[in-house]
Amino acid sequence: MSTGVVQSAEYRNNQKRKDTFISIFIGFFAFVWIFPILWTVWTSLRPYNDIISYGIFSWPRHITLVNYFNAIKEMHIGVYLMNSLIVTVPSVILTLFFGSLVAFVVTRYQYKFNLWILLLFTAGNMLPIVLTYIPVFWMFIWVGELFGNRNLLYNNYGGLILVHVGFQVGFATFVLSSYMKTIPKEISESAKIDGASVFRHYWSVILPLLRPALAALSVLMTTWIYNEFFWALVLMSDDSKRPITSALRRLQGQYVTDFNLLAAGAIIAASPTVIMFFVLRKQFIAGLTLGSTKG
Amino acid sequence: MSEEKNVLSRRSVIKGAAVGGAALAAGSTLSAGSADAATKVKGSTVKWTTRGGGATGDAIAKAVNDAFTKKTGAKVVAQQVNSDDFQNNFAQIMQGSPDDAFGWMAGYRSNHFGEMGLLADLTREIGHLKTNLPAAAIKGSTSPVSKKPYILPTTYYPWGLHYRKSMVKDIGMNPEKIGNWDDFVKLMTLTQKKGLVGYSLGAKGGWEAMGTFDILNARINGYKYHIDLLNGRAKWTDARTKETFKYFAQLIPFMNANVMDISWDGMRDLLLQKKTGAMMMGSWFANDFKAKSQADYDDLWVVPFPEINPKFGVDTIDAPLDGISVAANGKNISGGKALAEFWASPEGIAAAVKAGDTNIYVSKSFDTSGYDAFNKQKLAVLAAASNIMFFLDRDARGDFAGPVVGPAIQNFIKNPADINKILENVQAQWDALPKQ
Amino acid sequence: MKTAVTIPKNRNRRSLSKTDRLTLTTFIGIPTLLQIILLWVPAVVTIILSFTYWNGIRLKDVQWAGIQNYKNILFNNPLFYQALKNNGIWLLFFIVIATPLGILLAYQIDRGIKGHAFYESIYYLPVVLSLAVIGIIWNFMLQPGGFVQGLMGRDIGNAISIWGNPKINTWVILGIASWRHIGYIMLLYLSGLKSVDPALKEAAAIDGATDWQIFRKIILPTMQPVNIIIVVITLIESLRAFDLVYIIYGSPTIFPLLNLLVFQNFAGQGISMKGAAYAVILLLLCIVPIITYLRISFKEDLK
Repeated sequence: MSTGVVQSAEYRNNQKRKDTFISIFIGFFAFVWIFPILWTVWTSLRPYNDIISYGIFSWPRHITLVNYFNAIKEMHIGVYLMNSLIVTVPSVILTLFFGSLVAFVVTRYQYKFNLWILLLFTAGNMLPIVLTYIPVFWMFIWVGELFGNRNLLYNNYGGLILVHVGFQVGFATFVLSSYMKTIPKEISESAKIDGASVFRHYWSVILPLLRPALAALSVLMTTWIYNEFFWALVLMSDDSKRPITSALRRLQGQYVTDFNLLAAGAIIAASPTVIMFFVLRKQFIAGLTLGSTKG
Repeated sequence: MSEEKNVLSRRSVIKGAAVGGAALAAGSTLSAGSADAATKVKGSTVKWTTRGGGATGDAIAKAVNDAFTKKTGAKVVAQQVNSDDFQNNFAQIMQGSPDDAFGWMAGYRSNHFGEMGLLADLTREIGHLKTNLPAAAIKGSTSPVSKKPYILPTTYYPWGLHYRKSMVKDIGMNPEKIGNWDDFVKLMTLTQKKGLVGYSLGAKGGWEAMGTFDILNARINGYKYHIDLLNGRAKWTDARTKETFKYFAQLIPFMNANVMDISWDGMRDLLLQKKTGAMMMGSWFANDFKAKSQADYDDLWVVPFPEINPKFGVDTIDAPLDGISVAANGKNISGGKALAEFWASPEGIAAAVKAGDTNIYVSKSFDTSGYDAFNKQKLAVLAAASNIMFFLDRDARGDFAGPVVGPAIQNFIKNPADINKILENVQAQWDALPKQ
Repeated sequence: MKTAVTIPKNRNRRSLSKTDRLTLTTFIGIPTLLQIILLWVPAVVTIILSFTYWNGIRLKDVQWAGIQNYKNILFNNPLFYQALKNNGIWLLFFIVIATPLGILLAYQIDRGIKGHAFYESIYYLPVVLSLAVIGIIWNFMLQPGGFVQGLMGRDIGNAISIWGNPKINTWVILGIASWRHIGYIMLLYLSGLKSVDPALKEAAAIDGATDWQIFRKIILPTMQPVNIIIVVITLIESLRAFDLVYIIYGSPTIFPLLNLLVFQNFAGQGISMKGAAYAVILLLLCIVPIITYLRISFKEDLK
């Protein structure tokens, strides 16, 4: 018996040493991990002239925010950020709304096609974007012509929102339906006994219970939709209407040699999601958990 | 196919542009017909796209568009777009809701999309400008299939061998006397001996290397063979084509190690920083030299790519023709046409030049008497050639030039020994193209 | 006296009112219609178009091509095989190196080493960045005139070719992609690890099992469903690789990927339906992971 205790102590010490070593290793690695981001921030804080005259490794003679001011002014970053806002917020709201609708019907009411709907939505979320983007473009133009206005969907925030919703609603449905399965059937039963209409059932009974899942999902969705840049490149021909992530393409080409300005622009573009991540970390992780592991 | 007819002996283009001394009269006006068009658009809004060009591009556009507004009373809304994205998504943009007028390129890119109905027919506008445009420029802007012009020609520039006079003097050669292949090789060898790059090339974009291929093929096999090759009447597997690549292979040891890493702007930077002996490029980047310093700009020089085959001398040159096109799906087509016509007219050209545009205009009214040494040399380079090509990706089909020839040349630069296999493949892909 | 209140068995199936039926139909109908119109109809259109010749502009120019586009791709196009190779290498790298690293990281962090919350955030940070931003960040590091070049003492003129050197660029790109992927996998696995019973781990530790044994014999089996999800996600992410390479190169000639080939051929200046054929080939490759994912996720419902 006593030998077991002694072994334990030795083992624990070994473990402690190993743990410290691992901690240090992971810590060091974390620094390497985040270094590129740090370097970009660093580049954005130095004025252009310093770098030209003294090289990129030179000791900083000035630390300045002037690049950020210039970025906002010259690159019209405010406009692009506003576009991102206009596109992202409605997309997230609509995606969650539609996802909750479908998840609601599919989990609370027995229909034969329930499973097929779920399969359709989940699979749809995984299709490669390039498979659909050109026919989507043609469709938008064609619908626009039908109504006499080519810009009804193409080059229009509405069209961009529609595609985002179409693409993400599958994931939202999947996550919300697995979450809803944890809501006791009894709640729905009593609602039905009480004679609630389907709509009341959804709006007053189920929706409030979805809050945690919706919160978690909204954080995830906002990040994904905000970060997306490809659709806007294809569907928005007016550069002034593009979200910031798509506009970065143009800015990258236009300011290719002005590293510091570009760095400031990139940091500004990255800020919303990074800030949201740090503030809402718990929701983020919750959202991913709901989505990846069932139940 | 019929793309070849875009490419003609266009000596008169140069002759027209090189007429110095025809000072721009301040009161030079557009012909009467276009004055009518001008009054029609008063009060309307015309949308303009500037294709790349950074701050200078925006300044030039503003100057011309403001002059247009002053003259016609029509408002112009301008935006700048990333040139590559604009080109890559061109078909979509034109089918969607494009701006009314924009700078575009003559050759396949305007003919094809015009024939497909995406660009407006500019016959009337060309008619108004006829007195100012050389016949060859008009012919170069006209589709050989529909016989209609879809672009109003404005500028062109030579692709030539650029180098810095000071560096050539440093290695003991005469900058004015780089005329044949041996001189050229000597320049590269001596430059490389000094630890610098002999011949800079940036092939990342896929099209830059076409400039070298075009000129080598034209020098070795002649202009007619090159055009035949691009249009399927000569074969990529032919011994003559292989000969061109043999010469190309000779250049590879002199190239910078990071050929695949940099694009045309990297090539320019190498020359700007005095790190390379020579490079084959269009002269549009000269503005950047001037922006850096007058001394750098004065040091810059260009000559026709040296002669290889005495049978052909230096009779051919890539001189892409640019111009203004009007989108057929724009909201304000008449406004777009009026704006396009203004850009191509002597008044518009004067406004652009005043705002800093250093391009060479084909317009007969263009005054080159005040040209500096480098620009005069550009004209001389153009004048030396009797055959003008537009550049491979404007003279050949769009679904062949970019997707097939570009990568093939890149693969060749990476593995010159594979050239036979690469050429067989290019030929096979040409054969598999559907009829257009 | 007992009065049995009979509760009707088929409560669920009692007839719904007309309004209710309408509501249900709308609830399901609108999102489904949206999905079908924006995703499935275009997918089918692309598939059909892959069997035609067309330049994408005027409908009347469509010509039937049968399998010619596919034959052209398979026999005449070396870029296709380079792309397949790159997609394959991407896949292998993710499965063999990136994903396991993510899992390992998750495991170590879960064990409660000091500062684990901080590390979680750091390692996950690249995942919340847009690929457009990531492209710029890594360009600053690697392009001629960038940090790594500067470290080696090289400026624009003699910079080592990174993006263009076929021996290096694959690994660099995979490194950047992994930079993102590892954090993603780590977080997914972490959340799954929280559901493993700590008592099990403690018991095994007391019995003298090493870390590695605990991981293999206890953690891995318990995480079986998560493991498979992770593998499938890895598969799908590597097949969908596009954004990063598009940002860096713009065209598929230097580092071909299937997605890029679609983009180059399906749109732009030289449109051909080869692009549609590439897209269909990509879809075929994705079908197995997609179906696997569906089967696992809906295992109970499918029974």
